[in-house]
Amino acid sequence: MLEVKGLVAGYGGGEVLHGIDLAVHEGECVVVLGPNGHGKTTLLRAITGLLTPRAGQVLLEGRDITRWRADSIAAAGLVHIPQGDLLFPEMTVTENLLLGAYNRATWSDRNARLARVYELFPWLKERGGQLARTLSGGERRMLALGRGLMSKAKLLLIDEPSLGLAPLITQQIYASIHKVKDSGMSLLIADENANQVAGLADRVYLLETGSLVRQGPAAELLRDKALLESYLG
Amino acid sequence: MSTQFVQAAWGGILFGSVYGLMALGLTLVWGAVRLLNLAHGALFVVGSYVAYWAVSRLNLPILVALPIGVLGAAAFAYLMHLIFIRPVIGKPGFDNSTLIATVGISIAVSAAAILIFNPEYKVIPPVISGNFTVSNVQITKQGLLVIGASLALFGAVYLFLTYTRHGMAIRAVSQQQEAASLMSIPVVRTYGLVIAISGGLAGLAGVLLSPFFFLNPNSGFNPMIQALIVTIFGGLGSVRGALVAGFVLGIFESFVEVYYGVAWAQPGVFLLIILMLILRPNGLFGIGEVRRL
Repeated sequence: MLEVKGLVAGYGGGEVLHGIDLAVHEGECVVVLGPNGHGKTTLLRAITGLLTPRAGQVLLEGRDITRWRADSIAAAGLVHIPQGDLLFPEMTVTENLLLGAYNRATWSDRNARLARVYELFPWLKERGGQLARTLSGGERRMLALGRGLMSKAKLLLIDEPSLGLAPLITQQIYASIHKVKDSGMSLLIADENANQVAGLADRVYLLETGSLVRQGPAAELLRDKALLESYLG
Repeated sequence: MSTQFVQAAWGGILFGSVYGLMALGLTLVWGAVRLLNLAHGALFVVGSYVAYWAVSRLNLPILVALPIGVLGAAAFAYLMHLIFIRPVIGKPGFDNSTLIATVGISIAVSAAAILIFNPEYKVIPPVISGNFTVSNVQITKQGLLVIGASLALFGAVYLFLTYTRHGMAIRAVSQQQEAASLMSIPVVRTYGLVIAISGGLAGLAGVLLSPFFFLNPNSGFNPMIQALIVTIFGGLGSVRGALVAGFVLGIFESFVEVYYGVAWAQPGVFLLIILMLILRPNGLFGIGEVRRL
């Protein structure tokens, strides 16, 4: 489904990613594990066009989407739930969700999609009229997730689902990602916590200083505590 | 009611609605594109000259010339976006280069108006002629039309921004541009849409106001300055602010003018604004950089 080949990206004079090769297959949940500041966010941004790659290729279902504009990539079905949520602060919960279905292909059945997202997160329905800027951290994350699900995503990219959240809320967020995965969605998640993604991930990549140093089935890699400890600390 | 009061109230409501109409386009563009469009007065001029051309050269009735003028100004604004704004979006120095470009466009438009037509004052017929008197004050029907059109357009813009796909996209772009592009909203094309709408609003103001003030190559300048003041007073980027501030300033100015003399009208307005900016530095409805469309 998604194939990344030799991706190089960075900011200004610095290079952050030095040639990333990665693949996500249909229905698969792939997790990129790595400590903070090693390029996870940069990787997702380079894939979804928020950052223009310097070299390498990004293929979606065999189609080269490298250097496409971010909105075209989103329209093609790569939907990125960014770090910090990036909600529309002066809009209500419902309006934020509706904008997730902005694309022409989804706008006409936005109400059916809204109902589906409400089913997944009943809480969002209760808060429908509340402005996004008044939400708490966990509520914001759920809204960002719900907004991503309003689209016709082929693959959902989630940047650090639990960043900055209390343990109890973190559990809820991962439980809802589980539900999303069970619905058949392909997922690419960037995370720094190996324990959280155990049971969710099918395959894991380890990212260190801008390079993928290991990859393998989650069951195998996540069991190797010594290895994980040496990478993630 | 005394003649003085009716005169002040009528003038205030009329000017208020005009200020609001001009400020609406300015505040939309600021809110969404973060562009201080100093060519807003030029768009006013383009709209009125296009309508004048349609009336005088094509002999069309004003009711047909009006939409032609509005579309002409919108098209001109979109062209301005394509040539001068779009190339510098996201580049360092966007503020300065667009500020200078829009001033340049204003100068070019008034020069072009002189070359194509001539510097003499022109007259555009009113859409509705006739008037009636209330307490010895002449109320023109065109004036009532301007007030009605301004209120209706505020309503239409509000509904558009709140309930339609493209309107919501404009708010999304103005509040969180990166997230907007992740929702597959084409950010730059949305900028173009906002600039074209703003141009159409300025053009409409031009056509509707020209029967009151004669049309000349610089007739957009004063309305633009008033609109800038209104926009700052109401809070940059706030639609509600443009509406309320337009009427507050229009009515205030008119009452000062009628009761204390023309000489006090402008100083009075500036005094009010200085007070306002001391009390609320972000304007009536601005709550700083966070609050936008």
